[in-house]
Amino acid sequence: MTSQLKLTRRGFLAGTAAVGALSLAGPSFAASKTLNILSHRVHQTSLGEGDADAMKDWKAANDAELNWTTFDSNPLMDRLFREASLSSTDFSVGYMVDNRPTSEIAKLFEPLGPWLEKDGIEEFDDIAPGLVQGMTVDGNLIGIPVRTATQALFYNEARLEEVGISAPPTTIEELVEQARKVTESGKATGMILASDLAVFPVMFARAYGGDFINKDFELLPNKEAMEKGLTTLADMFKDGSLPKSYATTKNDDQVTWMQQGRAAFTVLPFARAAQLNNAEQSKYPGKIKAIGFPGSKDSTVPMASVVEAWAMVIPANAKDKELAWSFIKEVSSKKNTLVMALNGNGPARVSTFGEAELTAKNPLAAVEAEVLAQARGAFPPFPEAARAQALFLEEVQLAVLGRKTPAEAVAAIESRVAPLLPS
Amino acid sequence: MAELGDTMKARTLWGVIPLLAPVQLLLLSVIIIPSIYVIWLSFHVSSFGQSATFVGWDNYIRVITDPAFHSALINTVIIVVVAVHLELLVALGVALLFNSGLKFRRLLLVAVLAPYAVSEVIAVAMWRFLFDMDVGPVTQALQALGLPILEWGYDPMHAMIMIALLTIWMHLPFTFIILYAARLALPSDLYEAARIDGATAWQSFRRITIPLMGPAILVALLFRYIFAFRLFSEVWLMTQGGPARSTEVVAVYLYQEAFSYNAFGTAAATAWIMVIVSLLLASGYIYLLRRQVNANAK
Repeated sequence: MTSQLKLTRRGFLAGTAAVGALSLAGPSFAASKTLNILSHRVHQTSLGEGDADAMKDWKAANDAELNWTTFDSNPLMDRLFREASLSSTDFSVGYMVDNRPTSEIAKLFEPLGPWLEKDGIEEFDDIAPGLVQGMTVDGNLIGIPVRTATQALFYNEARLEEVGISAPPTTIEELVEQARKVTESGKATGMILASDLAVFPVMFARAYGGDFINKDFELLPNKEAMEKGLTTLADMFKDGSLPKSYATTKNDDQVTWMQQGRAAFTVLPFARAAQLNNAEQSKYPGKIKAIGFPGSKDSTVPMASVVEAWAMVIPANAKDKELAWSFIKEVSSKKNTLVMALNGNGPARVSTFGEAELTAKNPLAAVEAEVLAQARGAFPPFPEAARAQALFLEEVQLAVLGRKTPAEAVAAIESRVAPLLPS
Repeated sequence: MAELGDTMKARTLWGVIPLLAPVQLLLLSVIIIPSIYVIWLSFHVSSFGQSATFVGWDNYIRVITDPAFHSALINTVIIVVVAVHLELLVALGVALLFNSGLKFRRLLLVAVLAPYAVSEVIAVAMWRFLFDMDVGPVTQALQALGLPILEWGYDPMHAMIMIALLTIWMHLPFTFIILYAARLALPSDLYEAARIDGATAWQSFRRITIPLMGPAILVALLFRYIFAFRLFSEVWLMTQGGPARSTEVVAVYLYQEAFSYNAFGTAAATAWIMVIVSLLLASGYIYLLRRQVNANAK
């Protein structure tokens, strides 16, 4: 007896129809709505995944799925602005960093004031007012702050102890001295900093009471302080406390250098503490601690660390603004701000720093809250901000590598950046 | 009769158009229309959130008078000229070596072609590690031998050498495979005749190999000039144009204008300047080489 598989035309058509019918029936098992979100991966992971998904109940209540498209910071901003410039976009929520919303950019996004009035966010006043102000452009609130990344000074306690240092520095002068001591021991490099971000030279300038561009768009409000900051960096490079690869060091290098014990100090957001002390990645788990970046002993101005904030925005051309606002409301709730903070997200709500669950899990929460109280962005948003940052960094690198004196670099920053500032 | 022929021709033409249309539409949509749009954009100031404003030749003037563009252009020309010619010499040497009858030829062929199979991002990450100025294995080996190390993260000249070496390593397989195929195609009886006539190896190389491989060399050079002029990933991933923009090349300058500063008008003008300069650079060289090949052929 033989069996034979015989495909007839009728059979083929019936089979095709059945597959088609099944595929049409398929979506009935899935959610009826999809909310497309443009963000950095960290925004997605901080809300938890799988069983720990903080948005599980919201998804069920709204019969909606979340579709995340994630990028690194700069490509994310580029894609978000590109989507918002189209006649319509499928992305109804985007995450925007606080140094980007200029008047021109703000026009691409939905003013959220009316939404807030119509369907308010739980205890909105609890969201740090400075962050809300940062997302208010020409009187319109365009983003709801959701994440802060406040810069801290990280130090490797074990490396410091090896050279007889029992406490971290309290002034920038002590920091320079301790970094030099570690370098001279030959066991590690004093400090590792990326050279492609304005954050670091701005922190050094602020330690002496200076700044790059303040919130009133004043360029180099204290030139002497900027010069001192650059001189300190240049001296650290000269004595080896900053590595020879300074000019090509990137943010990721800072993490690996600290994890491997190749450097004793670095400047990174507080949220990096978990990663730096992760036993699976770090040779010094539990030994990499953080404090606020110290100011100069001679400075009369309190040290203002650099903070970067992210906010959720709705493109003005988005298709489903109702669902987008519902999502933003849910993510901004007190409960979810705490969930995100427990997952390593810097909270945008002031009260979250005092939550017992967070302070028990994250001993740095109190320090971070204290630093955040004084912190501000590296520079305010304006149309030529990215170009201004690039020119600033070019001059900083020339000064640190010794190809210009700090005074020459400061003069060049002044003459090159001034024409870019808004009049 | 002539009328019938015309009708047939017309029918044939109408019959052929649907077959050709997909390709023509593809070329129109991915090359011609975007090119026209970029020309239009290059005469406007445009960024996110603002409507384009006509500014005439301002964008071109701004780019051409920008010292950063001059530096990027000089860096590009240096890397293109040095890397492409060195790569050609190395590829020619390796092709001749393979042709001379190497042992383990297949294995060595895989080794020579391997860089082309490696993703650019991974290749650069690997080179960054190998040449790390503190702990890189190559750096340590050079130090152990008492040789100077490549301080590519600090010294602009060393950074340029590093980028040139990296680009040669990454693109050698392309040039090699063209030259090796061309060398294999040369008839052996020519060499035999030369040997009988008493030609030395050098004379055979100069009088037979080079003239007959001329067209292949020309093709390899033409493509490599075009590829090398748009050099981007090696520089961006290795140095990001640093230290202090000293290794920035034109493609990085363009990228910064478009995607960091969102200045689409100047980015578009830069793109067209790039096209024109690369055409000039390649055409002048190829004209000279062609003349030489033709003269040798006579």
